[in-house]
Amino acid sequence: MPDDEPFDLAGCLERVRKRDQLAARELVEHLHPLVIRIVRSHLPRRVLEEDLAQDVFLKMFTRIDQYKGEVPFTHWVSRIAVTTCIDQLRAQKRRPEMRMADLSETEAEVLGNVITNENDVAPDDALEARELVHKLLDQLKPEDRMVIQYLDLEQKSLAEISQMTGWNQTLIKVRAFRARRKLQRFYRELTDKESK
Amino acid sequence: MSADDKSWQKLVAAARKAPPIVADESAPYGFSTRVAALAFAQQPQGQSAFARLSLKAAAFACVLALGAVAANYTAIKGAFSEEPATAGGDDPIAEVVDLGS
Repeated sequence: MPDDEPFDLAGCLERVRKRDQLAARELVEHLHPLVIRIVRSHLPRRVLEEDLAQDVFLKMFTRIDQYKGEVPFTHWVSRIAVTTCIDQLRAQKRRPEMRMADLSETEAEVLGNVITNENDVAPDDALEARELVHKLLDQLKPEDRMVIQYLDLEQKSLAEISQMTGWNQTLIKVRAFRARRKLQRFYRELTDKESK
Repeated sequence: MSADDKSWQKLVAAARKAPPIVADESAPYGFSTRVAALAFAQQPQGQSAFARLSLKAAAFACVLALGAVAANYTAIKGAFSEEPATAGGDDPIAEVVDLGS
């Protein structure tokens, strides 16, 4: 299929429902960037992104007859991807409690700077800051982690998160509040242990 | 905003400055073919005639069994209630004791 032609999603879905394999392949190629972005941002440890993406697509094909067009198809697929990732994250063994000793020297320095509020994080330490954020987020429940990642890291709006996850905006706010409180507790515990 | 909140916001602001991870988002070679094949292999095209017939046969057998139980209910109930007395009468030890006395 040429790249400059707009993708006929409705026509493709119709052909997929008639069990047209070529249409199914075109649909996978078309949706892969959307699915892989979600999978990469919420990939559990020791799970291959390709395997998880495959699971998402297989679920999509299994449920395709249930799609009634109430929401855009891409939102519907996003929700399947989000729930598949959450299920995988729930299934994985909980990461042991994080300690200061688990952090690299730069990560500990970055954490020290943000906690004491003395110095800003140096631009060169942005990668370590991102790694540290992910380590802290790993301590949260999958749903809470997802909300904080979308809100604070990817700066998505409540409406966008709602479209992607299917959760209503009140639930998202509640999850964000709960997750931030837990993060604060982790912070305190981490620094308390360090000071003892 | 609490001090912990401020430090979290500071940390995520720093994390956002990290260069985005550039990775190819297109499907790997052969991925779509494999997924499409697996998807259609998982969804059988309706039930086979044999499966449909088996289900009907199983339902018919259940109805027949229930009918048989209902028709012979009195006999079945009687058989169970009479069993202890019959069993007592056939007790070989009791018969030997009776012969001795």
